[in-house]
Amino acid sequence: MPEIEVEARRRFEELTLPHLKSLYRFASRLTGNRGAAEDLVQETFLKALDSFPTLRDPARSKAWLFQILSRLAIDRHRGEARAVTVEVAEDLDRFSLYDLIWEEDPLPYSERLHDDFLAQFRDGEVRAALSALPEAYLAPLTLLYAEGMTYRELAEVLDLPMGTVMSRLHRGRKILERELWEYAKRRGLVKTWNK
Amino acid sequence: MEQIERLTCSDAVRQFFAYLDGALAGGSLEALEEHLEACLNCCQKLDFSRKLDAFVKDRLGEEPLPEGIEERIRRRIEDDGKREG
Repeated sequence: MPEIEVEARRRFEELTLPHLKSLYRFASRLTGNRGAAEDLVQETFLKALDSFPTLRDPARSKAWLFQILSRLAIDRHRGEARAVTVEVAEDLDRFSLYDLIWEEDPLPYSERLHDDFLAQFRDGEVRAALSALPEAYLAPLTLLYAEGMTYRELAEVLDLPMGTVMSRLHRGRKILERELWEYAKRRGLVKTWNK
Repeated sequence: MEQIERLTCSDAVRQFFAYLDGALAGGSLEALEEHLEACLNCCQKLDFSRKLDAFVKDRLGEEPLPEGIEERIRRRIEDDGKREG
């Protein structure tokens, strides 16, 4: 291999491999499967290597890698149905976990009703509720929660206008609230009196 | 002086997440903060949204890397180079 290519490859690894852990974490949340997550990450690195000459600003390498991974994930999972159904925006907008807990009073003897409601969930149950979100909502929420990305970074990584990022983060959290409530009902964590 | 638009409770609630994410600015931020100063119910709802966010973040946990993944990636990068070279 010519010396110049060896140097470029070394530079590529130096810029990209420090983001491996974050990329794997994101892939794992998106796929919900360790094997599929590793495949996705490996594919991301190969794709990134191909387009490495087009990366003008090395400081953008993290956003660039996440962008490649997101596009690959969307291509792979296009058309796959997730467990959660998404109703019309108005119905979702009206849903309020805070109000529902207050109205249904699922833990009648609690003095810290909302806190105690949340305290009942195990870590895996929260992760399962999040994983069930459609990818359009799961991707921005995961990047926000796990990577602390700003709306501007999310817009860049996910190729979306800022307004769409904002509405997906809002709706994604609403769907998650609804999932947590439904999950609590199914698991018998709450008793509902009116429904 | 610019007039701040008064928000209803449902308008305010729709902006909670953007507020918590630090994505509100200017007139929208001022209008929400003005509403929160006068509405205890919205303050409580906002507090719950903040707790819920922290609760979910906290429970996401770490995702350990599969053993040997970095080595496998390095190998694939190298193989890719050999194929092209």
